[in-house]
Amino acid sequence: MDFEVTYTEAQQGFRREVRAWLDASVPPDVKRIPASPEDNLRRYRQLRDLGRKLGAKGWLYPTAPAKYGGGGLDVDHAIILEEEVDRYDLSLPPYYDSGGRLGAASILVWGTEAQREAFLPPIYTGRVRTWQLLTEPGAGSDLAGVRMTTAVRDGDEYVINGQKIFVGSDNGADRIWMIACTDPNGARHENLSWFMIDANLPGVTVQPMELMGTGGEGGTDSGVKNTVFFDDVRVPAFALVGGENKGWTVASTHLELEHGGGGRIGKNRVWDRLLRYCQETKRDGVPLSQQADVRDSLADIYIKAEITRLFGLRNFWLTYARRKRSYEGPQLSYFRKTAGLWMTGAILDMVGPAALTTDTVWGSPDGFLELQQRNGIVSVHPGGTTDIQRVQMARRIGIGRTTREAAGTVH
Amino acid sequence: MDLALTESQEMLKTTARAFMEREAPTEVIVGLQQAESSLAPELWRKASQLGWLGILIPAEYGGSGETSSDAAVLYEELGRGPLPGPFFSSGVLGALTVMEGATEAQRRQILPAVARGERILAVAVTEPDRSWGPAGITLAPQRNNGTYTLNGTKLFVSDATSATDLVVAVRTGDGPGDVSLLHVDARARGVAARRLPGFVSWQCEVTFDGVEVPVAALLGGREQQGWTAFARALERGLPLLCAYIVGGCQAVFEKSVAHSQNRIQFGVPVGRFQRVQDHIVRLVNHLDGARWATWEALWKLDTGRPAAASVHLAKAVASEAYLEACNAAHEVHAGMGVLVEYGLAAHTQMSRTLFHYLGDPRWHKRRMADALEW
Repeated sequence: MDFEVTYTEAQQGFRREVRAWLDASVPPDVKRIPASPEDNLRRYRQLRDLGRKLGAKGWLYPTAPAKYGGGGLDVDHAIILEEEVDRYDLSLPPYYDSGGRLGAASILVWGTEAQREAFLPPIYTGRVRTWQLLTEPGAGSDLAGVRMTTAVRDGDEYVINGQKIFVGSDNGADRIWMIACTDPNGARHENLSWFMIDANLPGVTVQPMELMGTGGEGGTDSGVKNTVFFDDVRVPAFALVGGENKGWTVASTHLELEHGGGGRIGKNRVWDRLLRYCQETKRDGVPLSQQADVRDSLADIYIKAEITRLFGLRNFWLTYARRKRSYEGPQLSYFRKTAGLWMTGAILDMVGPAALTTDTVWGSPDGFLELQQRNGIVSVHPGGTTDIQRVQMARRIGIGRTTREAAGTVH
Repeated sequence: MDLALTESQEMLKTTARAFMEREAPTEVIVGLQQAESSLAPELWRKASQLGWLGILIPAEYGGSGETSSDAAVLYEELGRGPLPGPFFSSGVLGALTVMEGATEAQRRQILPAVARGERILAVAVTEPDRSWGPAGITLAPQRNNGTYTLNGTKLFVSDATSATDLVVAVRTGDGPGDVSLLHVDARARGVAARRLPGFVSWQCEVTFDGVEVPVAALLGGREQQGWTAFARALERGLPLLCAYIVGGCQAVFEKSVAHSQNRIQFGVPVGRFQRVQDHIVRLVNHLDGARWATWEALWKLDTGRPAAASVHLAKAVASEAYLEACNAAHEVHAGMGVLVEYGLAAHTQMSRTLFHYLGDPRWHKRRMADALEW
């Protein structure tokens, strides 16, 4: 086994090229936590601009096919890019774009050639930011129970009505994709359809939800979400991907990825800051990190973070080495979520009430611990609750059944 | 990056799996449980013929000198039994301690016979206070006229009742690390080994009553070198114990999944109930956590990377994993799981034994924190 990517001299040359380019292109103040809504928007625009520059070089979606505007690079180059943007605490894309990542994968697997040519280049080059619309007020964990949002064929168009919740992030989107019910009387799993549409069509209304999460545009676990209303929104039939009433099949791809099937490499951003905080903060005149109880807690937290990292690394390898996958995706999701939730208690116990305040004097730097206290809880539900992940695992392991359910196709 | 086993590792795995199914099925494992000695002579002989007893011993000392990762493939399969016997005690911890601590002449004297399975080593470190650090070594021999005389007790010594040779950690100075290793004939006058009774697998009491050991039996020929040597052997050996544990967790997982499919209650397989599923999900998460922590530590060792923190992490995670895996399996199996003949109980007892053996989870987590220099 080899747990590390080993690089050739040519690849190290690529790393130097990337690093020099990023040093010249990443806005110097990008690591800041936005101080106001205006600053949040300003930072978002900076990152979108960076995304377009990355996209022009094929570095925004490095492993995506070059013929659709992706980088066409192999996984080793993608890892180098991820590692280099990680030095700025950024990922690829550098803003919330899970709709692009998950939607593009679905279109690549299930779209027609014409749809790939139309939908993929804007995503891969960073021209559009995409949100996914899945959950409805009556269909959360039971996603296949989507009924409220309907699409009715009318000539060369579909007419969409309904409501989606827990959508997106701050600052709007250019594209959205969704599943809608196209056969209210149809059998379960055979009555949904998958659409990729323009986010700014007449009849689309976006309304922020008030949630206990915060975090704006950072990473993919944004605590800011919206309700999206559809009132007689007319979309071209071309927006239908995978065929009418085949939406559940299309969804299997992005659900697999969202359930952790793609894996992840990269470090835990909370851990480094937490350790530093404990080394720099004193209790009874002694650094927290030198107190026996704190060290024990830190060890437990570190181990959870390490196991999460190892599961992510394993899934990353399974995906890119095109190995057979089973329960590993939902296992990563389940473990990451329950570990994050558990950590909120462990950190609160260890650090005390300073973990709860964003006060610039008495709280942690940039309020990063307060953010973890919220996000550790908020992150439990997006992409399927911990209970849904366990159900997925059980079916794929074959607990109580001799036919095992297969993992979703991601290639 | 490549997280697959190599082709030769796959072959070893197939061979070892077939051996276990043929030579050590559940009824054999269950039958061995009450034996005073963990060593079943026929199994031991066959394993030696396969070269497994010297798998980590370099070729120049009669072994096959495989990597830690290769050896881990074997130990994972042995752990599926869990196969009793001084495989780890002699072939890993004993052999590595001799490799690290002995003079060239001592290595040549001891290791080839260990690789052939003729000599069986047990490493006696802990004492009644069960400390895993050097400060816990208080057994102090008297030295005079070229002889060490030992009086005292070593406790929780794994597989001592099947050993021909003991490596005994003794205190030879007042400094905290002033520990030396003595090579003691297990059949010498005054040495007595006794398996501790109860819910524990081949952890033994070893008593020394006026045992005379020639100075030539001092490993390495110099005093105060013992703890360093043992610590190095431990760092390399622990991931193999972890691999054995991973194999145990894997077997317990497979038993539980099979039971969830076969056991019908309320007219359906019990695994259809989400409460039952949750036990197995918990089990597989522990299994996989232990597996990947272990393999990352093995990879670091085999590639010469600093491995201390990963090794401590792996043992902490694996110890907890085996205990929790067995707990979950008992919840799945209910009454079936406590029938001795079913075989789960042998794992459960082993999981409790290995929880503490060579350091409990809390101890290893603290050493991990030290290694990471927090």
